[in-house]
Amino acid sequence: MSVQSIAFSTGQLAEVRRLQGLYPDKRGALLPVLHMAQDTFGYVSLEVEEYVASLFGLSPAHVHEVVTFYTLYFRQPRGRHVVAVCHNLSCHLAGAPLILAHLKERLGIDVGETTDDGRITLQAVECLCACEAAPMMQVDDRYEMNLTPDKVDRIVEALR
Amino acid sequence: MPKLTIDGKEIEVPAGTNLIEAARRLGIEIPHYCYHPGLSIAGQCRLCMVDIEKTPRPTIACNTPATDGMIVHTQTDRVKETRRSIMEFHLINHPLDCPVCDQAGECWLQIYYMQHGLYDPRMKDEKVHKPKAVPLGPHVMLDAERCILCSRCVRFCDEVTQTGELGIFNRGDHSEIGLFPGADLTNKYSGNVVDICPVGALTDRDFRFQVRVWYLDTTKSICPGCARGCNIDVHVNRRRPHHAEGRRVARVKPRFNEDVNRWWMCDEGRYGYGFVDAPTRLVLPVRNDAGETRELSWGGAIAAVVDALGRTPADQTAIIASPKLANEDLFAIKTLAEARGIRQVGFRVPPPEPGYEDDFLIRADKNPNTRGAELMGLDGKVDKILNEATAHRVRSLLVFEHDLFDTGWRESDVRSALEAVDTLIFVGPNGSRTSDRAHLALPASAWVERDGTFTSFEGRVQRFRPALGALGEAIPTWEIVGRILAATGAPVTATRAEHWFRALAAGVPAFAGLTYQSIGDTGAMTAGTAPQAPAEAKA
Repeated sequence: MSVQSIAFSTGQLAEVRRLQGLYPDKRGALLPVLHMAQDTFGYVSLEVEEYVASLFGLSPAHVHEVVTFYTLYFRQPRGRHVVAVCHNLSCHLAGAPLILAHLKERLGIDVGETTDDGRITLQAVECLCACEAAPMMQVDDRYEMNLTPDKVDRIVEALR
Repeated sequence: MPKLTIDGKEIEVPAGTNLIEAARRLGIEIPHYCYHPGLSIAGQCRLCMVDIEKTPRPTIACNTPATDGMIVHTQTDRVKETRRSIMEFHLINHPLDCPVCDQAGECWLQIYYMQHGLYDPRMKDEKVHKPKAVPLGPHVMLDAERCILCSRCVRFCDEVTQTGELGIFNRGDHSEIGLFPGADLTNKYSGNVVDICPVGALTDRDFRFQVRVWYLDTTKSICPGCARGCNIDVHVNRRRPHHAEGRRVARVKPRFNEDVNRWWMCDEGRYGYGFVDAPTRLVLPVRNDAGETRELSWGGAIAAVVDALGRTPADQTAIIASPKLANEDLFAIKTLAEARGIRQVGFRVPPPEPGYEDDFLIRADKNPNTRGAELMGLDGKVDKILNEATAHRVRSLLVFEHDLFDTGWRESDVRSALEAVDTLIFVGPNGSRTSDRAHLALPASAWVERDGTFTSFEGRVQRFRPALGALGEAIPTWEIVGRILAATGAPVTATRAEHWFRALAAGVPAFAGLTYQSIGDTGAMTAGTAPQAPAEAKA
């Protein structure tokens, strides 16, 4: 992605200003604006960090601090779908290692990688607050719960 | 003004004073890493915990303003235990590579471990590894493993230089100091982050591995790099000369002066002392005759100067003094000029290119004593002297310090002027193309080898002191000029720089009333100049 192509639309810029106005210090709007940038440009590249820094009058280093602190900002291109398997205590006891191993084998990728066709990025994450339905995973914005290898197959099959 | 009690001692402090500063006034040192009086408060290191009566648990002193009636204890068992635990936290992932760390000996992890730590280590697991020996820019080297994340360097770049190069990246025990990928720490004050780094995370690339800090001696001095006159400490290595291949000045550090540079100095000044130990240093008086160089004794050299001056009428003699000279040197030159009736005296030589200047410390005038030379009335037209020389109307020319070939003048003009004079006499610490052409070249001590004063652009007269012995046969410029004066029969009683300063104070109204004692460590203003606002961070 070239530097020139990194720019919000007029409407998005108005949204940036609105978000900045919500906080006593406009830096408070950095997180939602970074999410906007991630949704718009696919992932938060260094160029995107510099662009966002320019919208806040910050040095790029300070945007980089925020992006590297949080796990939900992707610093490399991600797949069209993100499959995040919980491997925290409840899910682990309920069989998360099996689910994760099954996904790795089926997709042919390791945790943190993206399939060659750019379809799925696989992640292992900490507790997502659905222990009652362990093992579970988050597929994009949706929780998939009480997983079994068969159920995982059906879910992954449906992802295009 | 709140009145409070710290460890049983009462003190009244201005409103807003924090507990670290209030305790400091009582001579009580509260240990801390992230707090720095020149930076905003981060409250990050948690080491400055103190007990305050009527508060349930220890409180950080840096972010607690003194209030009336507050009763503070810095030495309770609970505080001591807190400090010990926090030291253990700070050292969990620290590599303990003191034997190969340049900070050893001036490291606040070492100092505070001995004062407040002394616990038995419980860390059995593998430590987190981070980048080591990463150059951040031309002057600063990062070891991320040694960093305790106090964020002083980050705040310095945010608040003082406002360049914001540094940040703390990642999270938890993987957090590390760094630059935005692809960026460099190139601001003009980058060396200061090494000074304020309390540990060995940021070290000075210039000083690294040159000499252990416990072999250094410290002398109060003034930076000669520009007209600001930043107060500095010169650290010299006299005890282990073989450690740094004979480099005597090991480093220069800023010295706090509220009215001049506060805690800071620029990189240009910090790394600009190389001329002191450069191979270009003149170490013996020499005579150059038709390409033949002959060493002289000082007696022979002074006699040769006096002989040249005696052969040349005063109106065919000129002096190009230097704004790099101390006030004492300049007054000796002024005395010489007046005694001999020499009226063509100047000092202002155009620089090869305009000097960089900013609104913080750096001045465009790269000379430490232009103001002193002006106040003494030595500001004759130097380009006129050059023209007169070219026209054979100046037969003897004394040049102090300047390399006239490294100026804003055309080289060919300088060459024809210098070729036209009968006797060119050069006095200075370092040789140059000008001294190469001089019939007599006399070695002067460098500023770190002698006593003296500079007058800053604001009119502040500040003392520098000898940190080293002179190289070779070099002697201070005031002494060279004094010997010339004495040899021409003038009464000269000055045997120390201070004597010349007394004569200056008596002879030049702007310096009236000033003495070495009244100048002290922080300087004194010349008459008719009010102290200006202290250098503030650009904010």
